[in-house]
Amino acid sequence: MYTRKRLVLPFLLPGLLGIVLFYVLPFFSGVWYSVTDGSYKNAFVGLQNYVNVWNNSMFRLGLTNTLLLSLICAPLLWISSFFVSLLLNRIRPAGSFFRSSVLLPYLMPSSAVLIIWLLWFDYGGIVNRLCVALGLGRVNWLDGAPLRVPIILMFLWKNLGFCVIIFMAALQAVPEPLYEYASLEGASFRQQAVHITLPLIIPSAFLVFILAWINAFKIFKEVYFIGGAYPAESVYTLQHYMNNMYNKLNYQNVTTAAYSFAVIVFAIFGLLFFIQNRAQRGLN
Amino acid sequence: MMRKRGLGFALTCGILGVMAVLILWPMIQTFLYSFSSIADMKAYMKTRNNFDESVWIDSRLSPRMFSLSQYYQILITDNTVLRLFCNSVMYAVLILLGQAVIIPAFAFALCKFRYPGKNLLFFMVIMLMLLPFQVTMVPNVLTLRGLGLTDTLWSIVLPMWFTPFYIFLIRQFMVGLPGELIEASSIDGAGVIKTYVMIILPVCRPILGAAVALSFADCWNLVEQPLAYLTQRQDLQPLSTMFNQIAAENTGFEFAGAALYILPALFVYMFFQSDILSGLQLSELK
Repeated sequence: MYTRKRLVLPFLLPGLLGIVLFYVLPFFSGVWYSVTDGSYKNAFVGLQNYVNVWNNSMFRLGLTNTLLLSLICAPLLWISSFFVSLLLNRIRPAGSFFRSSVLLPYLMPSSAVLIIWLLWFDYGGIVNRLCVALGLGRVNWLDGAPLRVPIILMFLWKNLGFCVIIFMAALQAVPEPLYEYASLEGASFRQQAVHITLPLIIPSAFLVFILAWINAFKIFKEVYFIGGAYPAESVYTLQHYMNNMYNKLNYQNVTTAAYSFAVIVFAIFGLLFFIQNRAQRGLN
Repeated sequence: MMRKRGLGFALTCGILGVMAVLILWPMIQTFLYSFSSIADMKAYMKTRNNFDESVWIDSRLSPRMFSLSQYYQILITDNTVLRLFCNSVMYAVLILLGQAVIIPAFAFALCKFRYPGKNLLFFMVIMLMLLPFQVTMVPNVLTLRGLGLTDTLWSIVLPMWFTPFYIFLIRQFMVGLPGELIEASSIDGAGVIKTYVMIILPVCRPILGAAVALSFADCWNLVEQPLAYLTQRQDLQPLSTMFNQIAAENTGFEFAGAALYILPALFVYMFFQSDILSGLQLSELK
């Protein structure tokens, strides 16, 4: 640990300068934007912008869809990555092939892979063949509400590996004798997972949940590729609203919408931190 | 201690095997299709979007006839894809170079020094990390407009140099490094900068590799930023935003384009794969 304060400057300054310049300072000047009317007089209008944005149906639609998609995606990703990492942990130290293949999609460019998804989810595609074989009718996956399904699956496909790796790291830190003892006592795989593994990995599990949620908020690319700037109402996300407002040079609305969303995001994560604290204390 | 390899082991491997095939299949199919001829692929892609209940898309595994015409088209005859590809490479190189200078140094400053406001600074980095792009876009835009940088390539590159997630990731690794490393090198007479370059950076190799790979994935997949900041400059758009338009035009060479687009990401992944696994596992991510 270095204690002389002067020494830190060459390391700290470049990054600090950038963060202050690109994030902190404009964040505060943005507050000014969100309470003025943007005309040449730039009159102070108080919370009028917020009232306008919240009364805007497209903003509400984008916000609802973003929250809804993340509310489905984050828990789904969390649970499935937990199970996959349990399975991978079970066959350790074998299975390096599975470990590397599960992480690969995280690095794949979405738009390149999307052609294949469009083929699969086409009206005459392989997914509909499966649906018909299972006795269901064909579904038009690429429009309206069903479009959520391919988008959620693609999100899952892309982000699974990253969460699995963090879970794996936590699982490997659980002492092996605990499992041996539990097996001797006759505990099943499921009982071991719930009563030994889960309590010991709560901090990492929490981190995975937060990261999954952060990524779920970002769902936009795939929707944009399929639906363009104005997709079907069921998948119109907040990012669409922001981009469209930005392109119309309506900075007041962009800032106001962003700050409204920031408040919601912090409320959600604050609640999650609170729950995690309680859970941790409840276990100890 | 090895557990017994029995039926359970085989079953687990079976489930994982099916999953691995499903996960890898989009890439495999892209490469297989990229070797069919342009005319063949055009005809095939035209069978999509047919809402006749009796018609199915032919689900084929491999091309009928092996052909390199798609690759010939995108690499030699028509340079649209190649030009966009070069744009993407340019963004990736500029962003990664800047990040390499700024982010590890900042992470080092956040953990191995003692000065007032350090914890506040780290708290700020975490807060910024939690904010989604929809929110951080606004401060970025205000500064970019103030500096007159919108519709230039720096509007994409500069904000990416300070991505909070990688600061967090590398800092969490560096926190775990023993203080003795620094003490020993100070006793041997090395200054701060020398210690950082000669000792800290080499020791951090796994997490740096992981960060490079993950950050490359971000650069290679830029969509939101170019769409918002480069509205007037079609010539600066990277492959990530334009590729789906090429694919939508039914040009017949979209699979070779996709294969070309996937390949660098695949190489980066193969090169840094062990770093990602060990870096993320050694990092104190909690």
